Amino acid sequence: MWKTNLKILLTVVGTLSVYTLVANAIPQVQSAVPEELTIGADVTPDELAAMGGEIFNGVGGCTACHGLGTRAPDLLGEIGTRCATREPELSCKEYLYESLTNPTAYVVEGFQPIMVDQSRTLSEPQLWAVVAFLESQGGTIDVTADDIGDLSATAPATGQQEARDAQEVDPKALITTYGCVACHSLEGQGGQVGPPFESLRGKELEYIRRSIVDPNADTAKGYEAFAGTMPPTFGTVMSEAEIDALAKFLRGDGSGEGGDDGDGGDGA
Amino acid sequence: MVAQAGDRPHRRLLSWAGRATLVAALAALIALPLLGQAAGPEYGNFSAFGLDRRGAVWIAAQLHLMFAAFVLGVPMFAVAIEAIGIVNKQERYDKLAKEFTRLLLVAYSATAIWGAILVFLLSTLYPRFWTYLTAIFAPSMWVYVGLFFLESFTLYLYYYGWEVWKTGLSKRVHLCFGILLNVWGTTVMFIANGWLTFMMSPPAEVTADTAPQNVRLWSALANATWMPINIHRLIANVVFGGAIVGAYAAYRFLAARDDEERAHYDWMGYTGNFIAIGALIVLPFAGYWLGREIYEYNQQMGITMMGGFMSWLWIIQAFLIGVLFLAGNYYLWIGMGRIPGAERFQPYIKWMLLVLVGGVLVWATPHTMIADRDEIAAMGGTHHPFLGVLGVMSAKNTAVNLMILTTFLSFLLYRRANKNPVVTWARAGTILQGIAFAIAAAVVIFYGVYGYFVTAIVRIGFSVYQVGAVLLTIVFVIGLDIAMMRGAESRGEIRWGQMPARSQYALLILAVTFTWLMGLMGFARSGIRQYWHVYEVVRDTSEQAFTPALGPAATMISICVLLFFSLVGLIFWLGGLAERSVYRSPMPAPAEPASAGGR
Repeated sequence: MWKTNLKILLTVVGTLSVYTLVANAIPQVQSAVPEELTIGADVTPDELAAMGGEIFNGVGGCTACHGLGTRAPDLLGEIGTRCATREPELSCKEYLYESLTNPTAYVVEGFQPIMVDQSRTLSEPQLWAVVAFLESQGGTIDVTADDIGDLSATAPATGQQEARDAQEVDPKALITTYGCVACHSLEGQGGQVGPPFESLRGKELEYIRRSIVDPNADTAKGYEAFAGTMPPTFGTVMSEAEIDALAKFLRGDGSGEGGDDGDGGDGA
Repeated sequence: MVAQAGDRPHRRLLSWAGRATLVAALAALIALPLLGQAAGPEYGNFSAFGLDRRGAVWIAAQLHLMFAAFVLGVPMFAVAIEAIGIVNKQERYDKLAKEFTRLLLVAYSATAIWGAILVFLLSTLYPRFWTYLTAIFAPSMWVYVGLFFLESFTLYLYYYGWEVWKTGLSKRVHLCFGILLNVWGTTVMFIANGWLTFMMSPPAEVTADTAPQNVRLWSALANATWMPINIHRLIANVVFGGAIVGAYAAYRFLAARDDEERAHYDWMGYTGNFIAIGALIVLPFAGYWLGREIYEYNQQMGITMMGGFMSWLWIIQAFLIGVLFLAGNYYLWIGMGRIPGAERFQPYIKWMLLVLVGGVLVWATPHTMIADRDEIAAMGGTHHPFLGVLGVMSAKNTAVNLMILTTFLSFLLYRRANKNPVVTWARAGTILQGIAFAIAAAVVIFYGVYGYFVTAIVRIGFSVYQVGAVLLTIVFVIGLDIAMMRGAESRGEIRWGQMPARSQYALLILAVTFTWLMGLMGFARSGIRQYWHVYEVVRDTSEQAFTPALGPAATMISICVLLFFSLVGLIFWLGGLAERSVYRSPMPAPAEPASAGGR
């Protein structure tokens, strides 16, 4: 029976080996992940277009449809020449930006309205970088840093970014939404990986903000073992209004306590 | 009554204690985040055996799913076989159903263990995501955990009551326990499917700004891909269960000590293969519905899945399904060697093989080639001038429908091999069946060719006609055959057990391939989320946010399959320990099977 068992084992392992080898033999493509763009106020059009090209060919997933000519219009080498003619009231960059964020507003004849709003996955700077890249395809790049607006907001935007900024925010709701209690405690409830929020009462507002957006800048005394644990992404996923409201809440605004720049900050 | 290993009280107690502990642990892990006691940052650290945190969760989830598919699939056809035994009063069907059910006992524990490991890993390695998920789905998780008790109770009643409630009304009550077992199992699966489909297709009103407490539970559960996944997995579980019991029978056949045992497991292997391939025929339609719902939900997700960086995955799938069709038919064709009268159908085999091989080649032809500028220039475009024509859905739908028709023909020939119909209209009936096959093939080919000349949105609709023609033909031909074969004369009994050993290795390859395919499709489902835990809602900010390429994914899948079959081998061995003592009890030698393939 051991011979039979060995044959069975070889059959199983052999079959698995064939499938693994075949899957490893074909072209290997892994998905890209959006990365924050570092865009300075003096960014050149060509630099912007280069960034946009990386997004177009990578994380934007644009080439799945554009370039085949069947699902969506071919863009490479062409779109820059016709973008200003699609909708007379829109300039080239305005049209391209609309195509990314409201793609069904104008659908090229012969194609279906299948594209989704790219602002759900790409941030404002990323969107404008793609616009610059598309303008460079046969046209002239006129996207500037002014179009991009707040260059510090490099987070992947959501459709409600502006709405979040405009509305009043509830700091306690933010603490729940962003999962802060997984590591910090508030009113005795929560985790113990980071300092309790009560320890921030009376601290300087700037210190608290820094602890949120750049948690590795400081490490609270007694929490050195957890240094580097807090994600450095809250500065990008949270709006300015949210960070401001949260910082003030954690400082205990309304309590009249002054700040001492101690070391009991949050952020491991 | 012969003592059976599974009857020993201390084993039942241990099994019960183990299950109760697991359920309690699961309940605690669901409750802890709700109490805000979850410890740990956004992501936990894990590094062991060369695995990172994603690899650990991948293996736990995959092993849990494989065992879960087995324990959900087997009761479906075990109950059906028991019912057949009640109706035609043949005890061997009852014994077969019970033997299938015995395999479930240990597999249930394995399912629970891997489920608990998965929950432990999720809560410790992805605490923020786990907190988010439990905030939405906690009530359904309580129901899920509670159903384990009902499921376990019912399984014990169903299995241990088998010899006690054996006749008359008691037997029907026993059958009802089997049906109830399926109800609990299906409900458990539907609940869990809600969680994972929410990750893929959350309702439109749920955004990154939506607090999880404000998400409506039913809306989250009944999302766009929930029901397609439910149906797809229901059918796939039957396929998978059939394949694994076929592998079990193959193992026992190869280990058999006498002709009677060999004959029994030859029959069981045929039954398992019949169930697997029979259910496989309708599985693509459920998968097509799932694909269509993904496209409806988010075109970009659908296009990424089929035409983007994951497009080559479907070529691998085509290759594997080609192996399934070839191995399944090969097993039937070898099996015809033990059926008196089957010799007259031997000449057809080479033509069926030609259709199958051609179909596999077309199905495996890629469309979107990953090429650099020089290669594109050499080809004269982004697609190969010849292969590009075959790499589109028009050709592929045509190929797979013809392969399904061919496989159905194999089953039909197998079923009729040792029979002579005695009805007066037998010749006309057979001609009618041939015409039905020809019409179906013509419809499939016509719409396949026509599809090249219409727009995509019209072409998609043609697949419905192709599929409809095939399904209608199958139903019509089967109905006609049942009527035609009433009272048929036998050319001789099937010589169960007289199968060459290579046929059993075909069953093993089928089981391995089905399991690997399950892992591949799971990778597809998870991978199209890309860098999202919940698509466009909860972002994956870990270092493993990228979706791996097919090569590394295939390696992980193979590891999971190897682990699964190692554990399944242990289960088979345990089953063998119990079964030998039972098998030696007097039972009639398998006569001609009453259902497909034997009458």
